Amino acid sequence: MAAEMTKTLSDLPVSATRFIGRAVNRVEDPQLLTGRTEFIDNVVLPGMLHCAILRSPYAHARIKSIDVRAAEQLPGVVAVVTGEEARRTTQVMASLPPEWGTYCLAADKARFVGEPVAAVAASSRYVAEDALELINVEYEPLTAVVEPTQALEPGSPLVFEERGTNVMLQRVLTWGEVDQAFREADQVFTEQFRWHRLGANPMETCGIISQWDPVEGSLTCRGSFQAPGHMALGAAGMLGLPLHRVRMIGHPHGGSFGGKGGARGVGITALLSRKSGGRPVKWIEDRMEYLVAGGSQSWDRFYEVSLAVKKNGTVTGLKVQLVDNMGATGEGFAAFSTAKPLASFTGCYTIASAQYDLRLVATNKSPQSPYRGMGPPPHNWVLEQMMDIAARGVGLDPAEIRRRNFIAPEQFPYTIPSGNEYDSGNYEAALNKVLEMSAYQRLRQEQAAARQQGRCVGIGVVSTIEPGVFDWNAYAIVGMPMTGVPEGVTVSINLFGKIIVRVGFPLEGQGQYTIASQVLADYFGMEMSDIVVVPQDTLSAPPAFGPGGSRLGVALTGAILGAADQLRDKLIKVAARLMQTEPANMELMDGKLQIKGVPGAEMPLAQVAVVMLTRSDLLPPDIDPRPEATYVWTAPGRTQPDEQGRAKSYLTAANACHVVMVEVDAETGKVEILKYYIADDCGTRLNPATVEGQTQGSLAQGVGAALLEEYVYDDDGQLLTSTFMDYLLPTIYDVPMAEKAALVTPSPFTPLGAKGVGEGAMHTTPAAIMCAINDALLPLGVRAHEVPATPNRLWKLIQEQKRKT
Amino acid sequence: MTAPRPIRLTVNGVSYEAAVEPRTTLVDFLRQDLGLTGTHVGCEQGACGACTILLNGQAVRSCLMLAVQADGAEVMTVEGLGGRDGALHPLQQAFMEEHGLQCGFCTPGFLMSAYELLQQHPQPSDDEIKEALGGNLCRCTGYMAIMKSVRVAATKLRAASPAAAGTVEK
Amino acid sequence: MKPPRFEYAAPTTVAEAVLLLQEHESEAKILAGGQSLMPLLNMRLTRPGLLIDLGKVAELKYIRESDGGLAIGAMTTKRTVEDSAMVKSRYPLLHAATLLIGHAQIRNRGTVGGSLAHADPAAEYPALAVAVDAQLRAVGPKGERTMAAAEFYVSYLTTALEPTEILTEVRVPALAKDTGWSCAEVARRHGDFAMTGAVVTVQLGSDGRCAQSRIVLFGVGPTPLRAQAAEQVVIGQTPSEQLWAQAGQRVSEVIEEPLSDVHASAEYRRYLAQVLTRRALAEAAARARGAA
Repeated sequence: MAAEMTKTLSDLPVSATRFIGRAVNRVEDPQLLTGRTEFIDNVVLPGMLHCAILRSPYAHARIKSIDVRAAEQLPGVVAVVTGEEARRTTQVMASLPPEWGTYCLAADKARFVGEPVAAVAASSRYVAEDALELINVEYEPLTAVVEPTQALEPGSPLVFEERGTNVMLQRVLTWGEVDQAFREADQVFTEQFRWHRLGANPMETCGIISQWDPVEGSLTCRGSFQAPGHMALGAAGMLGLPLHRVRMIGHPHGGSFGGKGGARGVGITALLSRKSGGRPVKWIEDRMEYLVAGGSQSWDRFYEVSLAVKKNGTVTGLKVQLVDNMGATGEGFAAFSTAKPLASFTGCYTIASAQYDLRLVATNKSPQSPYRGMGPPPHNWVLEQMMDIAARGVGLDPAEIRRRNFIAPEQFPYTIPSGNEYDSGNYEAALNKVLEMSAYQRLRQEQAAARQQGRCVGIGVVSTIEPGVFDWNAYAIVGMPMTGVPEGVTVSINLFGKIIVRVGFPLEGQGQYTIASQVLADYFGMEMSDIVVVPQDTLSAPPAFGPGGSRLGVALTGAILGAADQLRDKLIKVAARLMQTEPANMELMDGKLQIKGVPGAEMPLAQVAVVMLTRSDLLPPDIDPRPEATYVWTAPGRTQPDEQGRAKSYLTAANACHVVMVEVDAETGKVEILKYYIADDCGTRLNPATVEGQTQGSLAQGVGAALLEEYVYDDDGQLLTSTFMDYLLPTIYDVPMAEKAALVTPSPFTPLGAKGVGEGAMHTTPAAIMCAINDALLPLGVRAHEVPATPNRLWKLIQEQKRKT
Repeated sequence: MTAPRPIRLTVNGVSYEAAVEPRTTLVDFLRQDLGLTGTHVGCEQGACGACTILLNGQAVRSCLMLAVQADGAEVMTVEGLGGRDGALHPLQQAFMEEHGLQCGFCTPGFLMSAYELLQQHPQPSDDEIKEALGGNLCRCTGYMAIMKSVRVAATKLRAASPAAAGTVEK
Repeated sequence: MKPPRFEYAAPTTVAEAVLLLQEHESEAKILAGGQSLMPLLNMRLTRPGLLIDLGKVAELKYIRESDGGLAIGAMTTKRTVEDSAMVKSRYPLLHAATLLIGHAQIRNRGTVGGSLAHADPAAEYPALAVAVDAQLRAVGPKGERTMAAAEFYVSYLTTALEPTEILTEVRVPALAKDTGWSCAEVARRHGDFAMTGAVVTVQLGSDGRCAQSRIVLFGVGPTPLRAQAAEQVVIGQTPSEQLWAQAGQRVSEVIEEPLSDVHASAEYRRYLAQVLTRRALAEAAARARGAA
């Protein structure tokens, strides 16, 4: 008889855990710190060529002709490809919504600045770039459509003429009696908001080495792939290859935050490798390529939001109209980002009804990609500002209006109007904690004193949900039909009793190999150094997705526990035979297989493994002689969506409450963050240092979103921010060193009670800073509705107000 | 003169003679010609600091230098920080203990900037740490753990070197 | 993002460098610290036929005091300036302005001459040079000459240097007794080029009035702009917040059409110039009183 499934910390077969829950050093770090980790640009293969890509200088232009003869003649150049070849030999790239895809090289017209038009494989990147200068493209510039207002006008130029419209997708979803809520409200608040484009910008750009095997007709790609399995599907579809002829090898990569993979890069390098007779072709996206046309740009949003509120501050209805400028194609699958807010549409609140009016519009900007948080960060940003506006309207403190609307601890699991179920939480406890930490009342007094001196000081108090452990079903409304995201691992014990765990994803930075080592070391009563994690390629890995959607910590833990349980049961069967007892009498405890209740009747794991691998004569007849088990985890209880998109989608709901104090220099418009406090609850913390790092790092990205980062386009669709001197990432000077507190409400649905936390503070920080800025500007009668809240923008608002009064 | 030009330099204590095309950047030379791939390329615009190395003891961006400009110089990269036996330098040890890295791509640049700082200021103030690391971008950590790592490294280094322990900065 | 092909020369003397410049005039470019030039090369936004690297010209690396001022060789790095105890104690304005330039790694390579000759209108050093009446020495085929900083800056990224001349030295006079200073700027982030900045000096007379003042703005025009009308508002008057504000209002007169870019509109820059002038005057006056 098999032992019970391991679900909670107390189910683990040890008398006490030694690693889970502790801020142990990461197993990844020694290699990273010594510069030994094999990032893709470190890899050199025999005969390898280097790719450079010629990109469209126009946002919208017909390609009349391309002359590559001079480039082909340049010494060192081995192959040149153009859109003509892509059209002849490949399929258009997969896209979402479907049928908004193009070839990996522009075949008829270029639809955005930076769209690949031709590519070269040469002896070095230097020579490849020399060759690009010899390619002569004749363009017929067309009028570019840059903003949705323009794109939605009748008679507007069309990004895809054959579609007859620039509207990629339009849906109106209604949940509950929303019109009634607005009719019966004491007050209704409506505001418009603008979230400008920003994006992931990991410190490592995308990199790929493709190698075509002309004999076998197969493709091997090594690269900085966030989700190698999905890259393989895309590549197979694009290149017309059966999936078993595509091998994707994910390399450790320098961050991703959503948009890493580079489907076009795979296609282009594959074409070049094929044309070079199968030589490996490396493409390392440079920073300018990344900024202009990489997997970088996200959330280009126009919102109109209404809130129905009762006199006592109870919020009864929420309407959100969203127009998102998706850019030229659906190749980045960024439509996900407009659907994901369904997983936490009404935030931490018991708002009973809601409506989502959604329009995705194609323009001649770079296509959007997913970015950390995948859509809820801007959604929370508008919702939380509306909560502040409502608080002022009904005369409540921002903290109080939130408290009055919180879902109460006893209401969990709680189903929100948009269909998702929150697993657990205690939002009031988090709010209380952060108010206590920040000495909120004293902050308000400090603010009052500052206002007396004419200083613009403001405080933001914001509570949000971070949906964790993504599921495809959350994206049904934009055309994704699947439910369940498998993550598989194989756990083996070798002859020396050490553990090898094979996983289907590469290192990315969140420390999952450490989590795997912590869980296995505790489960089998070993040291973390007794565990080795080995990433597999897409042909050898069990079904796996990898990191994404605040999922992998939970999914990996589930997969490992599943495999460990099976392995344990198998070892017990063998040990029982050797010890001449029944499996039901045996247990695994503290790293030993022992007969229950018989002190000293035990066997070490290694001994059982040795018998399994070297003495088949001693094994029970029905046993598979590998000390190994594979388990594929999917989130339990996920459902197919209804026609309004309602489903149990994201498995966990982490909660955070931020308090931030800012000062706005009313003359220069510059914002300074004075104080920052976070209380957050993501269930069991498998490695508290990792959680802290995710929170602080995500806070930094939130600061960037609120104050610094923006892709600025001119009226012709030219990007004006193509360097790190113009696209501004937060530096060590810009990020507040936040004081943090951890609350732990374990998830009842996940292995060990952990919740997804990888996307973290990005969900909350932009909202918190914006609320604080608007609180600071209150005495001036000014309200900001755009991020980033740049000095110039705030200055302009203040000046306009001055002129009015 | 676009032809390869001879240069001599020392990298991590090893002398090299090489012939490089003048346009070759120092970071490409280190990574591609010498195989020292611990130094990473993040932007080639002089803005991210991932490629920071020490040139004659000073932290510089190796994407903003030509290899020919390093003729006669003494270069140190992340590979020169720890021991050849794999032992971590106290600075690396501190980054590990304080979780001063996540994806680790920017980390060699931070280590080299911090190394120069700690050579100059064995007991740096937070402002001095910010000044030294202000030109290094990290997209993962939010810098807080990096600050802590450098503080802890300073303590470790002072403990390891009694001579410096007496040095008290203002 | 890799540089195009070019030829390269690394002369060891100024004379040798000038000869090379003469031979290759139209296609040669001087490489000093490279912190502005290298990104342009990497992005292929400039394509010189020949790069003349001054890195090995030892005679251009020095800081010394002479004639009541400071003489700095053009190839002296900003880091050397920053670390100089003499600069820190006797030329605190230069020290403060240096710390506003980029980041430590940039200052370790970037040179004084490079910044001055690159003539970026948003840079600190050119504005400082104009504010303190620095003298710039250049060597060319016809020998050497010295120019006042005010004459040196001609237009956007353009100086009075002849194509065959090399900037070799800057002479920075010490500030007069009882003179306070300020280098104030508004940048998006610490270390970024200023959206607008002001270098200001105020000398207080024994009567407590402003005996002298210099107000030079940067980031708001093609060159550093000296706001003489605003200086005139201040000179002879008793320091007060009101006075500084009045002076601030007059700086607009020298600002024609400020640059407008993704970070700051022309209008915003013009406004910042007023605010910064006011704030910098206040800070400079406080320093002159020994209060800051």
